[in-house]
Amino acid sequence: MSAPANALEVRDLVVTNGEVAAVRGVSFTIPAGGRMGLVGESGSGKSMTALALMGLLPMGWGAQGSVLHDGVDLVTQSDRALSSRRGRTLSMVFQDPLSSLNPVRRVGDQIAWVIRRHTGVDRREAERQTLDLVRQMKLPRPEQIVRAYPHEISGGQRQRIMIAMALACYPQLIIADEPTTALDVTVQKQVLRLLNAAVKERNSALLMITHDLPIIAAMCDSVAVMYAGRIVEMGPVGEVFRTPRHHYTRGLLESQPTMDNIALDGSSRLVSIPGMVPPLHDLPAGCAFHPRCPAASERCRSAMPELDGRGRAAACWHPAAAAVEAAP
Amino acid sequence: MTIYVLRKLAFFVGAVLVASLAIFLLIRGAGGNVAAIVLGKDATADAINALAHTYGLDRPLPVQYVDWIMNMLSGDLGQSFRTKESVADLVTDRLSVSVPLALSGLLLGLIIAIPVGTYAARNVGRPSGALLALLSQIGVAVPVFWAGILLSVLFGVRLGWLPTGGWTDWTADPVGAVRSLVLPVLSLGLIMAAVLIRYIRSAVLDVMNQDYVRTARAVGMTRTQALLQVGLRNALLPIVTIVGLQIAELIGGTVIIEMVFSLPGLSRMILANVAAREVIVVQSTVMLIIVFVIFVNFVVDLLYGILDPRIRNSA
Amino acid sequence: MSTIAPTARPIRPKRRLQLNASLVVGVALTIGFLVIAIVSFFWLPSNPNIPVIKDRLLPPGTAGHLLGTDVLGRDVIAQLMVGSRTSILVGAGGASIALILGTITGLAAAAYGKIADELISRGADIMLSIPGMVTALVLAATMGSGALTTILALSAFFTPSFTRVIRSAALSVLQEDFITAARLYGRGKLFILARHVLPNIAGVMIVQFTLYFAAGILTEAGLSYLGVGVTRPQISWGMMLNEAQQQVGISSPLAVWPGLAIVFVVLGLNLLGDGLRDVLDPKLKRRTA
Repeated sequence: MSAPANALEVRDLVVTNGEVAAVRGVSFTIPAGGRMGLVGESGSGKSMTALALMGLLPMGWGAQGSVLHDGVDLVTQSDRALSSRRGRTLSMVFQDPLSSLNPVRRVGDQIAWVIRRHTGVDRREAERQTLDLVRQMKLPRPEQIVRAYPHEISGGQRQRIMIAMALACYPQLIIADEPTTALDVTVQKQVLRLLNAAVKERNSALLMITHDLPIIAAMCDSVAVMYAGRIVEMGPVGEVFRTPRHHYTRGLLESQPTMDNIALDGSSRLVSIPGMVPPLHDLPAGCAFHPRCPAASERCRSAMPELDGRGRAAACWHPAAAAVEAAP
Repeated sequence: MTIYVLRKLAFFVGAVLVASLAIFLLIRGAGGNVAAIVLGKDATADAINALAHTYGLDRPLPVQYVDWIMNMLSGDLGQSFRTKESVADLVTDRLSVSVPLALSGLLLGLIIAIPVGTYAARNVGRPSGALLALLSQIGVAVPVFWAGILLSVLFGVRLGWLPTGGWTDWTADPVGAVRSLVLPVLSLGLIMAAVLIRYIRSAVLDVMNQDYVRTARAVGMTRTQALLQVGLRNALLPIVTIVGLQIAELIGGTVIIEMVFSLPGLSRMILANVAAREVIVVQSTVMLIIVFVIFVNFVVDLLYGILDPRIRNSA
Repeated sequence: MSTIAPTARPIRPKRRLQLNASLVVGVALTIGFLVIAIVSFFWLPSNPNIPVIKDRLLPPGTAGHLLGTDVLGRDVIAQLMVGSRTSILVGAGGASIALILGTITGLAAAAYGKIADELISRGADIMLSIPGMVTALVLAATMGSGALTTILALSAFFTPSFTRVIRSAALSVLQEDFITAARLYGRGKLFILARHVLPNIAGVMIVQFTLYFAAGILTEAGLSYLGVGVTRPQISWGMMLNEAQQQVGISSPLAVWPGLAIVFVVLGLNLLGDGLRDVLDPKLKRRTA
């Protein structure tokens, strides 16, 4: 069984409910074992992109385009076929670990279910592997933790359980959607370190979704910046963050608090980009960012710019030339 | 869990006491001179006093109340003024009609409502979901006794499949007894189902949008598996609560349905004894029913504790 | 790269339209019901209580008696029309008293501290677990049957539900910032409840009233069917069903009309209540109690 070269190839992904589109034509590739960050403000379509990859879109929403993974196009797969992949070849870690775990089942049973579902081992073996996993997640007193219900353990512990579930079957790709946003700042780093190590050990690819640029800088090798349902800039993390070409990326970087600030107030809100993310049903014509862009021209108002390359690319009529100093 | 159970037990005892006081005051406080009413207009004062004395009706009300409660606790529900039959005997006989009717009605309601409500929740926004919502909305508006009348016109009069009323005793003719119960149970069950479908639909809808159902799918469940194994298990919590709340409703429906189909159940007995001013019989029988309902609610609370680890482990 | 033209129209979920449909149908049925009751005071096809033996048991479609007559020759339409008054009197009467008592107790539970809350809430729980139909039988036995007894019985069963709903609605209003601000101004509790809480829970109260108006009509019909509700010369649809079953048999068309009347009216009020709930407070979820 030879692993394909790419863990994920997304081509022209569109996510729509028939009236509005949350994702409007997104393409990117994650090589096997690669790590990509997806950044953007809330409402930029990054979570919908992730849910579309998993085939977990909310009722009424559908995906178009193609998502190649492990030799199949996920978009065309049935729910049954997808279900045998989810948790096995691709997996997802959600934002809020309290609401994301089944409140009426012991966490150990929830992990063991995943193992049994995808490997077919007997219960005893699944329980043994569960205990192993919980130990790997550096949880204290693993024998007791597996018998606990989600409400009985801390937020950080819950997220480690969530990660253990997602990684239990050594998936080729892990999608992590804001995995630490709901956690205490002190716990965030530990959980990220753990996720980082676990992904590395399994040689899985990672798609990290966050609005927290330092996390991307620390954990990923490439990054895509989303705005209003489209990728506006992408490339290797170092290059994009050092020499952003899209004015939105630039604004994001400039408004990013330094690590010291994060430690102080924990928020990383945009302060230096004027205006707001446009609502999906009322997107401006041309480049969706133009009402907020310092370099907007007449052309930006009428024509939508496309990404100008495949590796390192930006979708801007007037790309910025100079580097910003505020690289995280 | 221990503290939870103790709290619920305390509520159970308190509720029974409050209810007994209310029933006693309602029947005895407002009822005037019981002995005079029982014996009718032509009774002599001596006869009235004698009857009152025999049954302790001439004692102060608080004493009578305490006496009644103590007797009930020791299993003595009192006896009829006229026939001298013990209330316990009277009731036991009637229970063989009322209990199967009420329980089967509830069961049928649940058997219909859980799958239909779940299906309606899954198809919300589609024509099939809207149709089910409309049907249950109409069902809720149908009085249970009219449903009984319509069903017995259809299956009893027109088709002649089942009796339109009456009763044969279990021991005499078990099949006949079952046949007598089919239409009453069907009426009760259908109307219960209409009410329950609406609640179950919204409980399932609520649960379906929970993050943990999405997580279950994210680690390998199909949409249907996640709904049935994770969603329905969690929706059981609100459903159990609703069933508890519907018990009082169920008893009301049973009372009426027994009248529609002339079944010799508890309600006919109560009505007959109300008419005959048999206060002791009425008082004890009504109290029994209320204790039963409060007890079911107590059991529901315990069940809730077992189903929900957040409550079970809270103490 | 494919693109989707952004639509300028705001998102309008289909659900909204359906609910408005339920509001429209509900309003139509309810208005029809009220109009019939009002008309019954000014005009009736014939006296619904005076027997006309020569006209007994006329079939539906007879000239002058469109829905026929009963075993004593009384016109069915006239009886149905007068019956609608009873439904309104008893249903709305019971729901009104329950609304008043429930508002007082619900607000008291929400605003006057833990002990009051615990007492009122547990009291409501106890009352909710007492089967109303059985108690109504007892009440009818001790107080005699009639419209007033029925109204009192209904208000007694309904009050705890009102208490619960109004308590939880008031609690959520009391948590709002503007209440804190009013408190800081030194406004008294009664003032805050009357001026700030009541207007904000009016929607909940209207919806609850509408739904229990419907429940009251159903329960009244049941009690009158059992013979412990209203009595002649007042007429109830439940009573008409009882008479039909006792005197003519269930397969008679006489056992159809009152049932249909109940279904239409209760359905109308329920649709109205559900529709109002979504219009008045879209955030309000369907409550289970």
